[in-house]
Amino acid sequence: MPDDRELRSTGSGQTLPTDTFPGQAAVDEMVVMRQEPAPETDEALARRPLGLLFWLALGWVGLVVLLAVIANLLPLPNPNLQNYAAINVGPSLHHLLGTDDLGRDLLSRIIYGARVSLVVGFGAVGIGMAIGGTLGLISGFRGGKLDIVLNAASFVILAFPAIVAVIAIVAFWGQTLAKITIIIGVATIPVLFRVVRASSLAYANRDFVVAARTLGATSTRIVFKEILPNVIPVAVAFGLIAVAGVIVLEGSLAFLGLSVALPTPSWGNIISEGTSNGNLSTNPYILMWPALAMFLLLLSINLIGDRLRQRFDVREGLL
Amino acid sequence: MLAYLAKRLGQLVVVGFIISILVFLLVHLLPGDPTVVILGPNDTAHNRALLLAQLGLNKPLYQQYWIWISHVFSGNLGESYVTHESVGHIIATGFPIDLELIIVSQVVAFAVAIPLALFTARRPNRPVDNVATTGTFGLLALPPFVIAPVFVAVFAVALKWFPATGYTSFTTDPATNIHDMILPGLALTAASIAVYYRLLRSDLISTLQEDFITMARSKGLSNRYIMMRHAFRPSTFSLMAAAGVNIGALLAGTFIVEYLFAMNGLGYSIVVAVQQRDYLVIQGIALVVAIAYVVLQFIVDFLFTVVDPRVTRE
Amino acid sequence: MDEGGNRMTMPEPISRRSFLSRSAVAGGAVLLGAGSATGLAACSSSSSSTAGTKAQSGTAGINHGTPKRGGTAIIGNDADIDGFYPPSNHWDNNGFLYANCIYDPLMAVAADGSIQPYLCKSMTPNADYTVWTMTLRPGIQFHDGSALDATVVKNNYDALQASLLTGLALKFLKNVTVVDSMTVNFNLNEPYVPLPAGLATQVGYMVSQSMIDAEKGGNSNPTPVGTGPFVYSSWLPNNHFTAVRNPHYWRSGYPYLDQITFRPIPDHSQRVATLQSGGVDLIVSTDPVTITQFQGQSSYQVVDSLSDTLGEPDMSFIMLNCLAAPMDDLRIRQALAKGINYPAFAKLFDSGLNLATTGLFPPGSKYFSQTGYPTYDPAAAKALVKAYTAEKGTPTFDLATVTDARLTRVTQVLQSMWQAIGCKVNLQAIEQAQLISNTIVGNYQAVTYEQFAAPDPSINYVWWSTTTVAPVGKIALNFARNSDPQIEAALVTGRSSSNPSDVIAAYQKVNERLAVDLPYLWLGRTSWSAVADSRIQNFAGTILPGGKPGKGFDNGSFFSTQIWMEG
Repeated sequence: MPDDRELRSTGSGQTLPTDTFPGQAAVDEMVVMRQEPAPETDEALARRPLGLLFWLALGWVGLVVLLAVIANLLPLPNPNLQNYAAINVGPSLHHLLGTDDLGRDLLSRIIYGARVSLVVGFGAVGIGMAIGGTLGLISGFRGGKLDIVLNAASFVILAFPAIVAVIAIVAFWGQTLAKITIIIGVATIPVLFRVVRASSLAYANRDFVVAARTLGATSTRIVFKEILPNVIPVAVAFGLIAVAGVIVLEGSLAFLGLSVALPTPSWGNIISEGTSNGNLSTNPYILMWPALAMFLLLLSINLIGDRLRQRFDVREGLL
Repeated sequence: MLAYLAKRLGQLVVVGFIISILVFLLVHLLPGDPTVVILGPNDTAHNRALLLAQLGLNKPLYQQYWIWISHVFSGNLGESYVTHESVGHIIATGFPIDLELIIVSQVVAFAVAIPLALFTARRPNRPVDNVATTGTFGLLALPPFVIAPVFVAVFAVALKWFPATGYTSFTTDPATNIHDMILPGLALTAASIAVYYRLLRSDLISTLQEDFITMARSKGLSNRYIMMRHAFRPSTFSLMAAAGVNIGALLAGTFIVEYLFAMNGLGYSIVVAVQQRDYLVIQGIALVVAIAYVVLQFIVDFLFTVVDPRVTRE
Repeated sequence: MDEGGNRMTMPEPISRRSFLSRSAVAGGAVLLGAGSATGLAACSSSSSSTAGTKAQSGTAGINHGTPKRGGTAIIGNDADIDGFYPPSNHWDNNGFLYANCIYDPLMAVAADGSIQPYLCKSMTPNADYTVWTMTLRPGIQFHDGSALDATVVKNNYDALQASLLTGLALKFLKNVTVVDSMTVNFNLNEPYVPLPAGLATQVGYMVSQSMIDAEKGGNSNPTPVGTGPFVYSSWLPNNHFTAVRNPHYWRSGYPYLDQITFRPIPDHSQRVATLQSGGVDLIVSTDPVTITQFQGQSSYQVVDSLSDTLGEPDMSFIMLNCLAAPMDDLRIRQALAKGINYPAFAKLFDSGLNLATTGLFPPGSKYFSQTGYPTYDPAAAKALVKAYTAEKGTPTFDLATVTDARLTRVTQVLQSMWQAIGCKVNLQAIEQAQLISNTIVGNYQAVTYEQFAAPDPSINYVWWSTTTVAPVGKIALNFARNSDPQIEAALVTGRSSSNPSDVIAAYQKVNERLAVDLPYLWLGRTSWSAVADSRIQNFAGTILPGGKPGKGFDNGSFFSTQIWMEG
């Protein structure tokens, strides 16, 4: 399918169709630049072992995921068990991370809370990617009216104060894990759409795609064989950032009392409890532990993303 | 240029129009209505019917929409069902707060992220770079509702450098206004610093590999000069794009900070209005936020073409 | 008396401390009733208050030394109000704080609990309490120079009666008629003995003719004009309200301040931090932590309502829907009452300040009596649940609250305690507007509430009456839907009897029956407090026009007339 869009040259020296919607050119540029080979990836660096930090990061993410999955099998107290005789006790052998203001074991709450944070973080971005990413892939490649309509839609939705819609909808629809994941997931669609579309757009005009077209390859084949593999690295990199953002957003909803119904723990609502009811001064551990866990998780996710991107880029460079 | 502006203006109107329909539908489809809030326990069927008629909420939806939108075009956004404050006034007093919060947080974010990136981009993967990278992720994991109470405890209560809460408008008292804005602005800035730093750093590294930099180096220009005069400008595209997205999200997205610092900004006002089903307030603010978003994107576009002449429009 | 009868409380349906207000109050309940009811006045203050460096009289918040003139007081209150026009607003404690500046109430509560004339000179009933004759004080002017006379009072009541909000509350009132320029008659549909107490609430605040005319002319936000000690200067919702000294105030010598400013600060900890950093001179709070935090600090004055024994305190409780399963079974209500570990609860929440309550009235109140309210008895509770389970299956219910940090902590503790006796409890955090709506139509099983503060218990008639019960799905003001003819009979006596000992016996009966029916599980009283720096003086030391001390601190509000600043 021929691309009949007007073209413009970009800062990174590529040719992209002009964009009809304000602000999009910049996003396109950002995305396209991300898929350029990372400069520090000279071949030596790329072939270099992934490095201790990478493995540490992967280890942490793996540990968090594993603990969250097998939480029931671990010798942990019930995360909701309140022991009024042991309120706000510091870390000890009995309670490795101490207890909260209702005498609940913080380690147990954080491990069970990881479930919520991980499901919301990866689940919502998964939903956003599945819908927004797919539409972006097609829209960027095909162009035409479809592209204009989808762009217009995403632009309008982005102009809408999304957080307000999320609050309004969560407040009346309900506060189960699945519903919150879906609502946040839907809210991430327009952003992820734009990112993937920009990437897809850039490849749609690359020589190897144009060549495939002239050779008569079907659109489906081009999308899946030529474009998708190239889009994935940048989608993963942005997706991981989005996961971090969503985990923090869940915290904001928890702060407003609009995340999963209590007493089910999530990192967000433990942090939120840590800042309320005077706990900040009486027991800073309630805030500190989940914030630390979240910090390490976000850091690890991003480190992994960075290193993987370097690897992907090399592969692309070798083609 | 005129044609370009006309096209953009046309887009603004279309987007505003679509948003106005979307937000109208959203608020009217939410369960509950403003009578619950206004009447409270005086909520008898009789009273409710009377009040709905008084507020014009008993008319068909399309008529209500028409009445509202035609008033909007004549410059009348209506008034709050609850406080009877005019929506125009809520926006006129609230919007500057959001604007200032965004300006302060973004100025600080740029002021930290840019020098830091310029410094570490020349030394990638060295200890300084690793510390800066790790540190900025730390900021990402600290949402405003965690930072704000800590800042207030330290800088307002213990050191008494800044007020703990409150907002005075710039026109009333510029010095107090700026003083009031520092802590809430800082509470919002953390995530922006992290994102801007990461993007600029990696784009700078990328630019530094380009031929024209190598040329400049071979001419014996100082590193500092190269960074500032050659490398920085072409490396700011992602920064601008991210700032566009980020600031867009901060429009009416600053409600937690406004709540904590007792500021009557648009973010706080719209969230309270959603709670109270104060339809006209929600609709008015959402409309203004949408228009601000579109204008913001125009500005990003404009800067984008200014920064690099290679970006041309046919 | 039909629905809505003689309610004079102005319940606050959605306090502006809604939603984002995670701090203590927001309770589902403040919503209705609560602080709002009382308006004025009052109080005595004090009690457990220590502190008060310069409180020369020895009681915090009261200083009857020589006042200094001038200065500005800045008050950090907990939420903004919805407006200044009594017929179209719901005033909570913040409403009364603001209103006490701009307006004067016709009646006020004295420190001894009696109801005293304030803006009016006197008020006397006929023999059967169906016609009350009120004489006004001569020479009082509104801020716009117009005179306070019988006509404007009548017009105020016409507006209040016509209002969708206050009309219901005044249904007992046939009309107000002008007798002569300084005298009006309140003509009632039926005897109403505690009417003066009703005029110490929102419906007793008189506004100027210009405001009434403006409202009639379609201006829904007219500039507030009253007879009060301060003149309206500016109000920016959710930012500040400022009023300046009324140089022509009818109470000579008052007020002392040049200016008073209120700053609503919804977040609890942030309000405390603002006081500590010197941003405000005084804060109002419902969080008991505030009391314990400042008690004993010599640079702060602490006044609280915990030992307030006048009228009906602001209660915090779990309300059960007596018409919805499983709460329609008395055994479950009993089991839930016996299943709460009250000592542990008090320790967890109120730093031991707020002791378990067994009924509507605290020890020291003239209405106080032992009620037979259940005590913590987990074995008995389990047995009751077991019996129920055998018949109808495991009792399962939703416990709803608003999205507030303190209340969600309360519900988590109750959930844990009730699951320990065999119930299955789901927690719901609902937005405030929805929660009110749910309680009115009975779409709930158990919900956290704060309500009932009133200068006289008769004002709560409508919440407890059998005449205001309706099936689930229909609007009912008796939200708990508890139909008890004995309560109804006692309430009627309490309202229509002029014999004080009969009235006391009647309310003791109400209290006793509530302990049997168990529509409300008492958690304690709402712990209102005011904490002030050492500059602001005598905020709780009001003196009524007749010379009697007034009720200085009344569920989060106080008069501003008598406040002065030291240094």
